[in-house]
This record gives sequence, C-alpha cells and structure tokens, in this order.
Amino acid sequence: MKHFKYFIVVALVAILAGCATSLPPSELVNARLAFQQANKGQAAVLVPAELHKAKLALDQAENSFLQEPESYRTKDLSYIADRLAKTSEAEAVIIAQDAITTKANKDYETTQAEILKDKTDLLADEQKARMEAETKAAKALADLAKLAAVKEEERGLVITLSGSVLFASNKSQLLPAAQDRLNSVADALLENNGRKITIEGHTDSQGSTAYNQTLSQKRADVVRSYLISRGYPENLIIAKGIGEDRPIANNDNAEGRANNRRVEIVIDRSNN
Amino acid sequence: MKRINLALLAGYVLLTVAIVGCGSSPVVVNKEASTSAIRAAEEVGAATNSNASLYLQLAKEELDKADVFAANGEKERAESMLTRAQTDAELAVVLSRGETEKAVALKALEKVKILRQDNTSSKGSE
Repeated sequence: MKHFKYFIVVALVAILAGCATSLPPSELVNARLAFQQANKGQAAVLVPAELHKAKLALDQAENSFLQEPESYRTKDLSYIADRLAKTSEAEAVIIAQDAITTKANKDYETTQAEILKDKTDLLADEQKARMEAETKAAKALADLAKLAAVKEEERGLVITLSGSVLFASNKSQLLPAAQDRLNSVADALLENNGRKITIEGHTDSQGSTAYNQTLSQKRADVVRSYLISRGYPENLIIAKGIGEDRPIANNDNAEGRANNRRVEIVIDRSNN
Repeated sequence: MKRINLALLAGYVLLTVAIVGCGSSPVVVNKEASTSAIRAAEEVGAATNSNASLYLQLAKEELDKADVFAANGEKERAESMLTRAQTDAELAVVLSRGETEKAVALKALEKVKILRQDNTSSKGSE
C-alpha cells in the first residue's frame, strides 16, 4: 500500500513535468527582440526583403522550439534569426546614410549654384551702378562745359571760371550770380565725388605781387568754403593762391587781364 | 563452463559493436560560404571596426567549432555552426559598410556646412 502511494506521487510529478512548457533558450529570446527592434525601425521601410528573410528564420526557430525545445538546432536557428534581424537593421542604416549623403551632395551643389548666382548678380549690380555713375558724371561734366571752360591737362581736368563772373574787382566776396554757377560746378563735382580737387586763385598783374597773392588766396579759400558748404568733402579740397604768377593771356590789355583773373578747379585723375 | 565462455564471448562482441557504433569517423563539410564571408569581412576592415570586430571574431570561433564537430563526425551540427559563422561574418560586413557610409555622410554634411559658413562670413565682410 505504501509503495502504491509512492507510485502515485512519482506518476503525478512525471505528468506535471511533462505538461510544463519549456522556457525558450536565450538565443530565441534574443532573436525575438532583435526582430521586434528591426521591425519597428527603418528596416521595415527600407529593406523589407531582408527583414522578411529574418522573419522566416525566426519562424523556423519557433517551430524548432515547439518540436525540440532544448536542441542545438533550435539554438542555432534562433542565433541565425537574431543575426539576420540585426543584419537587416544594419542594411537599413546603410541605405539611410546613403540617402543623407545624396541629399547633402545635392544641397552642396544647390548652395554652390546659389552662391555663384548671388555673386554674378552682385557683380552685375555693381557694374550697372558703376556705369550709371560714370554716365551721370560724364553728363555732369558735359553740363559743366556749357558753363565754364573745361580742359584736360596733365595735372588733371581743369575747370576755369572767369574771375569777373565770381568776384567784384579787388574783392573776395562771391557775387550773387556766381553762386548759381558755383552750384552747377558743385553738382558736377559731387557726381565725381571722391576725387581730390585743387582750387587755384589767379590774378592779373595790376597792383603789387603781394597784394595779388593775398587776394588770389582769399578768393580760392572762398570758393573752397562754398564747395564744402555744398557737400564736397573738406579733406579732398585744397585752396591755393597763385597770384599773378601764371597768366594765360597778355596783361597789357584789358581783355588779357580779364582772362588772367580767374579761378581754376583742378580735378585729380586718380580716385581716392 | 562452455556455456559461460560463450556468454562472455557474446558479451565482448556486443560491447565492441556498441563502442564502434558510438564513435564516429570524421566527415567533410563545405566551408566555402562561411570562409568567404569571413574573408569579405576582413577585406572591408571589420577587424578594426568597433561594431563589426566582435561578429568577425565570433564567426572565426564558430568556424573552428564547426571543424571540431566535423572531426567528430557530427555533420549536421558542423553545418549548422558554419551557417552561424556565415551570418556573423555577413553581419560584420554590413556593419563595417555602415560605418563607412556614416563617415561619408558626415563628411558630405560637413562640406555643406563649411560652404554655407564661408558664404555667410564672406557676405558679412562685404
């Protein structure tokens, strides 16, 4: 009777042990996780065929586990499924990185083209502005030529204004009519802004040399001040009194002396 | 007495058969796929790649294990181990290529960044 009881207990334990489900090997657990991860990531979109291969391998491992849970075959199939899932994920990374490279290369080309276009546009704008400025300056000089004698000399462009138009005899104050003419001169000079100019005052030989020197300096200073008041940069204008030293006509007659009484504005050739 | 001798002889014969039956002679397995996968992994520089080197190492170890199984006559197990070696080596190849692609992508992005920075700074200095 006692033996019979033992037999019953042993039989029950054996039945329970037989019914209990075996735990999956770590290889299969890893394979399931690896597949889940790959399936949730980019692999499903970028490399579906590779992922499908991993799925088939995992199914094979699962089937093997149902039939022979502890066998090396189940472990090896699970291991292989794990690696195939990881491989599909790594393949997806390659494709994603490749897409990044392609886009970056395209961005580079686009940016380069944009930069080139910007530079070309800028250059064209600058050229256009320069041409406009040159045209304007040329027109201003042409207008000026109607009001005063303009002559190209070695020292620069020389604008000669008659002294009698600008000043009363022996005076250094500008005549009201002179201001209109100087305004036109100032406009033309401002179109050629940025150039150094020299205002030279000249007299005839009447009176003492010292007096003429002083008068010519005063007149040059007055014209300089006026041009500055019209907006010409102060640091670019020099006033010089030449006196009677550089006549352009004979001082023996009235006409010659009138020509010698003058103010010359010399525009330097070089830009500052 | 004669019966006892016969029984002993029969026992020896059975034991010998059993011993011979349990031991196996070496088998030949095709290692080409796994060895060429390992070679490919080495060629793409998997040995020096932090991610891929582990899988290359595993593949080599599995190849050795497959040799042992083959020597013991366990053909099926050896072949299974060779497949493991092959998949490990192939993973090492893909991981190495991935690292290379990453480096190329980073370089391309850096190039664009530098171009844009240079352009911005040259605009600023104009």
